[in-house]
Amino acid sequence: MELAFSKNKISFKKELSPLDRFVLKFVKMLKKHKIDYVIISGYIAILFGRSRETEDVDFFIEEMPFSKFQEFWNDLVKEFDCLNAADAKDAYENYLKEKLAIRFALKNTFIPNCEIKFPKTKYNNYSLINKVEVLLNSNKLNTSEIELQIAFKLKLGSEKDFEDARHLYKVFKEHLDIDLLKSHIKELMVQKEAERILWKNY
Amino acid sequence: MEKLLKLTKSDLRELEEEKKRNFEQRLQFIDAYAAWLKKTPNKVWSRQQNKLSSR
Repeated sequence: MELAFSKNKISFKKELSPLDRFVLKFVKMLKKHKIDYVIISGYIAILFGRSRETEDVDFFIEEMPFSKFQEFWNDLVKEFDCLNAADAKDAYENYLKEKLAIRFALKNTFIPNCEIKFPKTKYNNYSLINKVEVLLNSNKLNTSEIELQIAFKLKLGSEKDFEDARHLYKVFKEHLDIDLLKSHIKELMVQKEAERILWKNY
Repeated sequence: MEKLLKLTKSDLRELEEEKKRNFEQRLQFIDAYAAWLKKTPNKVWSRQQNKLSSR
């Protein structure tokens, strides 16, 4: 695996998967509307080689006034269907403002889909502020800081999440800020999980 | 025909141990796979990953 690292930036080239192409299509719309975003969770492990599939890709997008969201929505629904909200007003008021996610899939499909939320917690905001820029072939993507992603996967706690955490830890081990990772682990109170899933040799 | 499993505490303990062993083996596989990924060109691993996702 050839990865190039610089401050808050990871560059690499690979054969794009259908999931990568789907994510890049959605990201292109966010960029077009100048919406700040970060991709979190399972897709990051998959982007960096994990051998599993996912049905959804999780995003935090910056909180914005309804007028801006409506413009984004109107453009987005030309290519994507919203799977759980009826219209822009419903999505904004009954989902995003209520800390709930809305899901978009390509027209006439259900999976994969992008699940988007406004950042509502300290963890959400940290993810958006401290994001990492990934240059994938010639495409830019914002992903969550890898150290935070590993710690958060330990917090989520399913076997799949633990496996994602160990995958990211093993792949990025030589490039991680271990003090930062330990600090996130401590703050999220997942020291026991880290002991078993990250530090222990099997 | 008897359909009940009639598991004892000992049987359940064995199942828990098996679950733990399976998970540890998954982690071992992830270690081996990550080690392989790190020494394999992007073009090669991403092609294999794509084959998996397009099955």
